[in-house]
Amino acid sequence: MTDDKDVLRDVWFGRIPTCFTLCQDEITEREAEPYYNFPEKDLLHCPSKDAIEAHFMSCMKEADALKHKSQVINEMQKKDHKQLWMGLQNDRFDQFWAINRKLMEYPAEESGFRYIPFRIYQTTTERPFIQKLFRPVAADGQLHTLGDLLKEVCPSAIAPEDGGKKNQVMIHGIEPMLETPLQWLSEHLSYPDNFLHISIIPQPTD
Amino acid sequence: MEQDEFFGEKAFQHCCAEFIKHSQLIGDGWEWRTSKDCSDGYMCKTHLQIKNGTVAPRPRPSAHEQTGLPMEEAAELALDDAEAAEVPAVSPVIRYEYHVLYSCSFQVPVLYFRASFLDGRPLTLEDIWEGVHECYRTRLLQGPWDTITQQMVAMAGAVPIQSQEPGGSFFQVSHEHPILGQPFFVLHPCKTNEFMTPVLKNPQKINRNINYVTSWLSVVGPVVGLNLPLSYAQAASQDM
Repeated sequence: MTDDKDVLRDVWFGRIPTCFTLCQDEITEREAEPYYNFPEKDLLHCPSKDAIEAHFMSCMKEADALKHKSQVINEMQKKDHKQLWMGLQNDRFDQFWAINRKLMEYPAEESGFRYIPFRIYQTTTERPFIQKLFRPVAADGQLHTLGDLLKEVCPSAIAPEDGGKKNQVMIHGIEPMLETPLQWLSEHLSYPDNFLHISIIPQPTD
Repeated sequence: MEQDEFFGEKAFQHCCAEFIKHSQLIGDGWEWRTSKDCSDGYMCKTHLQIKNGTVAPRPRPSAHEQTGLPMEEAAELALDDAEAAEVPAVSPVIRYEYHVLYSCSFQVPVLYFRASFLDGRPLTLEDIWEGVHECYRTRLLQGPWDTITQQMVAMAGAVPIQSQEPGGSFFQVSHEHPILGQPFFVLHPCKTNEFMTPVLKNPQKINRNINYVTSWLSVVGPVVGLNLPLSYAQAASQDM
């Protein structure tokens, strides 16, 4: 190879097509590791797809524990669990719902699930979310609504604050009417993990 | 409608109160913490351990109170004493934290835990598992661990740790603590009912009192390095 600086300059700027091969002693043992200051103490690390699958299935199991005392999900075979995950991972609606619809059923003699899986997220508290036991049907047989749920477990969300600043109650980025029956919301507006994830957002002031 | 509650939150809180009473008696370090905005709470214990498996001597209350140092620094004072004895000088100290919360979804207690070095760097699950293995290998080789772990292998929703030892697969999922919001490892609660039911049935037959939390913690605790002195069980059988 030449020491001629002009040739090297041409190579550098790509004016001369070249092919390089590294000598064995030019090859380093390991690549430099990227430096990430990942906040391990505050955030869940997602090291692999398996970890995300495990977390997703864990949420599914918890949702069914609330809805059916885990009976439906425990009766499923391992391949059904796998199908739920693969359907979600590969964005295959029919594949996912072929199994998930069983998790949305309830016995004919009942009016709904045993308890509704939900989590409420607020910005006003350090607590990551609110999750409590809440039945979809009242003792008198009336269906509980979204408003009933909020009144019971998170009254500050719908109570008008001083100055009339209201909150938005959002699921999937939309505001369902507070009169919507909770059972219906759980069957039709749950996230893939079968939970209703409800965000309480201060009303934008503009 | 609520009679089918197997182990309700009130029962949990009562068992914890009894458990902590005994802990205070024997200086075992458990305390109750409530969340700021809610009536629910959890039991919590922290202990320090030198990485090679020796348990660090508990900081004497006087060192902590008199010097006014935070707990970790007071412990290091105590460690200096230990080092003078026999412990090798350069052994990292690990801070283990155990939280016992109530899961209303599964209606059982759940064990959350994490470990970190004193500078805050967290340990991975493999590191924690390694530490536990040394101390509790014999216990883990005995049943019923094999049965429990085999059942848990069949359960999706957990990440098994690969290990050659029998009983070496154990199930923890990295999870957000429901009150603190920080990542912890969790022993998945979905099988708790299964192994607790026989534990509860027997005493009922012979009309003896047990504390659900004590019995449960004595089963799951050792797998993550948490040991319960026998006196807890004796105390439980004397309680109302």
